Amino acid sequence: MTEHTAAQPSGVILATFPEHNGRPGVVYRNAGDSFLLVEFGEMVFDLTMSFRVLGLDDAIKRHQPEGLIEVIPALRSVLINYDSRALPTKRLIEFVQAQYEELPPFHDLVVPSRIVELPIAFDDKWTREAIARYVQYQRADAPNIINGTNSEYAARYNGLRDKEEFFEYIMATDWWNAALGFFPGLPFAYPLDPRRAVVIPKYNPTRHWTPAGTIGIAGPCLAIYPVESAGGYQIFAHTVPIYDPQQRNPAFRESPVLLRPGDRLRFRPRVTDEELETMIQAVYDGTYQYVIDETATFDVGEYLRFLDSVREEAEAFRRHQAEAAARVPIP
Amino acid sequence: MLEVRNGGFETTVQDYPGRIGMLSLGFAPAGPIDDYAFRFANVLVGNPPGAAGLEITAGGLVVAFHDERAFAVCGADMDARLNGQRIELWRSYRARPGDLLEFDYLQGSGFRTYLAVSGGIEVPPVLGSRATYLPGSVGGLEGRKLQAGDRLPLGEPSIDLGRVIDRRVQAHLVPGYPGYNEVWEVEATRGPQADPDYMTREDMDAFFSHHWKLDAASNRTGYRLDIYNWQWARTSGGAGGGHPSNIIDNGYPVGAVNVCGDQPIILCVDGPTLGGFICNAVVAKAAMWKLGQMVPGWSYIHFKEVSLEEAIDLLARQDATISEENLERS
Repeated sequence: MTEHTAAQPSGVILATFPEHNGRPGVVYRNAGDSFLLVEFGEMVFDLTMSFRVLGLDDAIKRHQPEGLIEVIPALRSVLINYDSRALPTKRLIEFVQAQYEELPPFHDLVVPSRIVELPIAFDDKWTREAIARYVQYQRADAPNIINGTNSEYAARYNGLRDKEEFFEYIMATDWWNAALGFFPGLPFAYPLDPRRAVVIPKYNPTRHWTPAGTIGIAGPCLAIYPVESAGGYQIFAHTVPIYDPQQRNPAFRESPVLLRPGDRLRFRPRVTDEELETMIQAVYDGTYQYVIDETATFDVGEYLRFLDSVREEAEAFRRHQAEAAARVPIP
Repeated sequence: MLEVRNGGFETTVQDYPGRIGMLSLGFAPAGPIDDYAFRFANVLVGNPPGAAGLEITAGGLVVAFHDERAFAVCGADMDARLNGQRIELWRSYRARPGDLLEFDYLQGSGFRTYLAVSGGIEVPPVLGSRATYLPGSVGGLEGRKLQAGDRLPLGEPSIDLGRVIDRRVQAHLVPGYPGYNEVWEVEATRGPQADPDYMTREDMDAFFSHHWKLDAASNRTGYRLDIYNWQWARTSGGAGGGHPSNIIDNGYPVGAVNVCGDQPIILCVDGPTLGGFICNAVVAKAAMWKLGQMVPGWSYIHFKEVSLEEAIDLLARQDATISEENLERS
């Protein structure tokens, strides 16, 4: 195992392993008597970190040491739930670090990654209703609401021609689901094509009500609300259920949660409110067929080559975006 | 079968340790908040400590027994009466078919009480647990709180009734709850994002010395504390967002103190599993039960810092305490 630095006086950092041969450094943080937080690399937005995290998640699951309850992956970290009496913290750290160091070279990682196609209705009646309630009961002068939508604002913030171009961007990239959480089955998905990577600031204050099935974005992250809830993301579309506790459709037979970490989301086809309503009804009738490629894999090396090939275009979009954002008020 | 005549303010079926191993799909574990009282109630009636029972919040529950069972009530005093006759807490009784068990509302300190019935409540397990998880509408009875007319199936008791009735928890193991305006001492370790990189040493000193007022808008999802003017060790959250409490989203430990902007919120058993705010402390698992008995809008919390080793030791001692050996004949 690589050299590591001992715990800090405050006891928060339990162990640190520096970057080694291009492998990002690791920090083990105290998270109480039943959890351990493991962070990789720096606090920067780097989607490729998610591939390492999910590779490690997979490796840990295959070994499943006594006392390990669960690994909770996120974009650049894993939280581990464990029984600290059966599995002493020190031994857990040694185990995780050994697994991390044994991961194959980054370029050779090929991870299982399903492709899940979801129909999408933009600026649909449910989204408009949630925004109208926000205007009526919470904030009438929110700059992120233009003509009763957030999409016009999203377009302006990213320097796009109009909301139609914003919708094209959403549909033009696959979305990498790095983690599930907050609510049951809620995906935290990031755009795989950096040329289409829109960013939008959050609501202020957060919304009291969002219907289940709503699609929103905050920062670079796209979320689908699995249950009716409060929310802070800018909302602009609606899709079919991704969570059904009553498990009424074959897609929910094994679990009430549709999505998994490492899935790629693809929004198609574009549908009207009426078409979507029919689809939602069919989900609960058990007749709707979710379009999921169960056997797809994701080749990290190939993706890195793609990133290289579009680097200039992506940079140009980022600059254009930053200039546009500077001209738009923040909520 | 247990027949619900009145569901009260909020009564749910729970088991312990709840629906664990599903945080990565976004499911909080649920389960009783005061697992100390819950597990002792089960031990009193001869059940495994984690068997499904009822969590009664604030009171108002009325149930009728349809068969002969042992039962025990542990937790806050709600003036529970069996056929009009007052019963003691932390003690097992016999119920006969047709007997009525009624709970009034809170009589003094504490906020929740737990009813265990021999054989346990045998609603079908969902995803490995009978615990009701309200935000996800799963577990318990149809994923919801109980209401009049509900009929709860009971399991087959494993021990002869005569051996488990008229027992009580030894008096020194029955916790005394601080009064409405009083301070609860809650053991906690520093969390993953404390000092020196996220908060200052002074922030953490203040955190462990302040008496935090528990907000009225506190429930099984989160326990909100008063807003505090933190110094912060950073000026912004960098890639996580504009505020120094922002981070790139990570998993949240159950019992973490999640600082959202300037407001600390203890993430409780139904809380969010992942998000983008720092956690500067984590309540020791052995101290989580105290949250269940605090009164939202009234109680105060003083966090007492313990080391990771001390927190693990507290948990081992708590588990050892909740046992048959600590009961006595009444």
